[in-house]
Amino acid sequence: MLELKHISKWYNVGGKPTFILKDINLSIQPGEFVSIMGPSGSGKSTLLHIMGMLDDASEGEYYFMEQAVHTLKEKQRSHLYKQHIGFVFQAYHLIDELTVYENIETPLIYQNIKSSERKALVADILDRFNIVGKKDLFPTQLSGGQQQLVGIARALIAKPQLLLADEPTGNLNSKQGEEIMELFKQLNDDGVTIVQVTHSEKNAAYGSRIINLLDGRIEQ
Amino acid sequence: MIQNFLKVAWRNLIKNRTFSIINITGLAAGLACFILIALYVIDELSYDRFNEKADRIFRINADIRFGGADLKLATTSDPMGPTLKKDYPQVEEFVRFYTASGSKQVKKGDQYIVEADVMHADSTLFNVFTLPALHGDTRTALNEPNTVVITASTAKKYFATTDAVGKIIEADGTPYKVTAVIRDIPRNSHFKADFIFSMDNVHYDWGSYLSHNLQTYLLLKPGTDWKEFQKNFRQFIDKYVVAQARQFMDISNLDEFERAGNKLEYSLMPLTDIHLHSDRLSEMGVNGNIQYVYVFSAVALIVLLIACVNFMNLSTARSANRAREVGIRKVLGTARDSLIKQFLVESIVTSFIASIIAVGIAILLLPYFNSLANKDLTVGGLLDMRILPFLVLLPVIVGVMAGSYPALYLSSFKPIAVLKGKLSTGAKKSTVRNALVVFQFATCIFLVIGTIVVYNQLRYIQSKKLGFNKDQVLIIDDVGELGNNAAAFKNEILKLSGVSSGTLSPFLPVPSWRNDNTMSREPVLDPKSGMNMQTWTVDADYAQTLGLELVQGRFFSKDFPTDSAAVVINETTAAWVGSGNVIGKKIYNFESQDNTPIPLTIIGVVKNFHYESLKQQIGPLMMRLGKVTGMASFKVNTSNIQSLVKEVEKKWTAMAPGRPFRYRFMDESFNNMYNNEQRVGKIAFTFAVLAIIIACLGLFGLATYMAEQRTKEIGIRKVLGASVQGIVQLLSIDFLKLVAISFVFAAPAAWYFMKRWLQDFAYRINISWWVFAVAGVLAIVIALVTVSYQAIKAALANPVQSLRTE
Repeated sequence: MLELKHISKWYNVGGKPTFILKDINLSIQPGEFVSIMGPSGSGKSTLLHIMGMLDDASEGEYYFMEQAVHTLKEKQRSHLYKQHIGFVFQAYHLIDELTVYENIETPLIYQNIKSSERKALVADILDRFNIVGKKDLFPTQLSGGQQQLVGIARALIAKPQLLLADEPTGNLNSKQGEEIMELFKQLNDDGVTIVQVTHSEKNAAYGSRIINLLDGRIEQ
Repeated sequence: MIQNFLKVAWRNLIKNRTFSIINITGLAAGLACFILIALYVIDELSYDRFNEKADRIFRINADIRFGGADLKLATTSDPMGPTLKKDYPQVEEFVRFYTASGSKQVKKGDQYIVEADVMHADSTLFNVFTLPALHGDTRTALNEPNTVVITASTAKKYFATTDAVGKIIEADGTPYKVTAVIRDIPRNSHFKADFIFSMDNVHYDWGSYLSHNLQTYLLLKPGTDWKEFQKNFRQFIDKYVVAQARQFMDISNLDEFERAGNKLEYSLMPLTDIHLHSDRLSEMGVNGNIQYVYVFSAVALIVLLIACVNFMNLSTARSANRAREVGIRKVLGTARDSLIKQFLVESIVTSFIASIIAVGIAILLLPYFNSLANKDLTVGGLLDMRILPFLVLLPVIVGVMAGSYPALYLSSFKPIAVLKGKLSTGAKKSTVRNALVVFQFATCIFLVIGTIVVYNQLRYIQSKKLGFNKDQVLIIDDVGELGNNAAAFKNEILKLSGVSSGTLSPFLPVPSWRNDNTMSREPVLDPKSGMNMQTWTVDADYAQTLGLELVQGRFFSKDFPTDSAAVVINETTAAWVGSGNVIGKKIYNFESQDNTPIPLTIIGVVKNFHYESLKQQIGPLMMRLGKVTGMASFKVNTSNIQSLVKEVEKKWTAMAPGRPFRYRFMDESFNNMYNNEQRVGKIAFTFAVLAIIIACLGLFGLATYMAEQRTKEIGIRKVLGASVQGIVQLLSIDFLKLVAISFVFAAPAAWYFMKRWLQDFAYRINISWWVFAVAGVLAIVIALVTVSYQAIKAALANPVQSLRTE
């Protein structure tokens, strides 16, 4: 699915490089459910952003589905992740001005999918997540768990092969969190590759593999 | 408390530098424009009010129509003033001005100076108008012939002292004794005069009720209802005017005259209305126009409002930043009205800083504004006691105006919502804010359309086929000074190379002499067959020099001695004489001593040419062959005009030693007729640019804030796959919608007002659709450029930054 080779990321602070990630080597196979763990500031989110092509590495090579991402231009990269990757955030990041329905529909609009097809796809996923009744509500009218459900639905609408989740249950109570993790497990069983960043051992256990990060390095 | 307010206000200004600069710049520009226009309007409204009896002084206007031509005169007949005073006890005093003899040549040493601001006046002048004397006694100053009253600066110019009483001035060859020196007539008087000569020296055919050549002012007794008094004029007409007309005309009373479609009407015009409301023939000078006062005032208010709108929009848009402060203050127990006061103090501080800058800008721009408005306003005008208090109050008024909506809005936040961070940000759509932006852009579009229409009409005037050729015609004034040598002078000039033809006539299709006369189609003069028309005396070379085109017959020629009893008419007159060929037909005038008709044979018809401004329809005109030598015009054909003018001057000096040489070019003279319109064009253009700049400043600020507020949304959208182009579109489209709505409001309003402005012109353009298209596209492009900088910046930002921590 993807392969990171000698990936490093640093910022210059006062003329000296401060490393966020250092020489990361990692490969993830299709169908895996990987949990990345580590204390705050260990570089989990940055690693996830690099996998999701939202951020560039300072050094190293990144292959996504056999394509050398580090050599691609911005436009090609954006095209690549638009088609294959979905994101779920801790803070949901729904657009407040749009309804549930419109939020879910948005990625499809950016992929130039026809209106009739969009309708069918959104209706499908609303049904699957049991939130048909909420489709005309605005995000602020939903509970945290419901918002995250919408966030996941939005991430999955374009049928990505890879789902990247940054502490998806961080803002939720334990019962809501469990439901979300169950959902992830089910998705993984359906063939979606998942990489999640989490603080919780319990949530990490849902995955098939755990990677521990400390100070920008993978702990073996 | 107030100290705390001021401290917080100051810190906020410093902290949000960009917004403070946008706010202050916008407000300062608006205020500067407001101050300048206030000066202008106050000056315009002050005309003639320096006269102590201003509310009792009235001018008699005459409205005459005889045979189709409408005459609106600022003058009336010479016996009217004395007769009214004799017959009606309500009339306390009258005074008449005589200016028809034009400028005078006044001798200074052995030189002659052409003085344009001269008039003859009755000795009662000083009983009516307030013109205080420095030396001499104005009560008796003009009682005798050969007396003159001069102003202080004229006295200094000729005698190097203001005490010139008893000195002799020679004007047009006649010696006058200076009997009084008055203070300079205030600039805001509707008449200007450096010399006031005795009425007794006017060579005039006194006593005719039918010639209207004198400006006449009445001073009514206190308590007289002037509107009521005007009703006496009909009785006056029947008793005196009709009685005199009966001597040579078949008429019994005014009613009969009116039934034939004619008109003779006198009316009173209050002195203080003259400057702004009167545009008649024989005005004492160029008057102002109340419409321009309205337009200027409206523009000043609008520009100030646009600047205030910027302030409101930016303040409310930035509300989220202040929300925390509001919440904390409320939790600490601050009442709402105290918060309102705090925000008002902030806006007043802002507008106070802006006002100081505005006064500076106004002082700097005053010379430019003076040339724009054709005024001599001074900075000192700002210190006028009527303006100064207002100027001090202005920042407070503007501060409250601009600050009250933001103050009410900001102070209404609920503290709990704010502190829990649940408050929706200022980026939320605000109807009020959108309405304000629409107002700004509607105004800008309106001004742009106005500017385009004014300039189109001016261009139309420049390029319109006038029926004569105004290019490369050199006009020499005062040729009458040469007396019988005028023809010799013309021949001398014709010998110069580069001069192709020349004509001696003071009647030209640019401002020059005018002479109207009553003609008849029949050998008798009655109300039905009479027609009042321009009667010009020209020489045989007139048509060739001015490029007039003949449609029937021929022009005057030296080869036909009988041409002295012939006339050439224009098409308007021809249509009145009869249809088809009018050559050989006769028209009659009644200028002879015994009122017997004199027949004149029509030998030619010239194509209608615009001998008055394009504001007027082309009226009836006839030309006669004769020698009236007031001006000479030459068609020149040379690339080196300046050296030709020098040669002409040399000939002039040889033939008229000591007499000033005055010349002008016909196309210049023509353009000067439209100075007012050119001014309107410049004003509309200047303020359109100003309004657009201020509005864009506001839009830029708003866009900056919107982009800032929507950072998170933009980040999400980018992660979901939105392109840069898509984001820019997203951010710009809302503003463009507003501009489009503005257009919907502005276009019909502009169409209506500009249509009305064009009504002033008898010959005018149509407002075509492309004017609106240009204004609309321009507004959209300007808005787009303003907004897109921020939009592109926001769209290019890395979403990871904006989504990092929540």
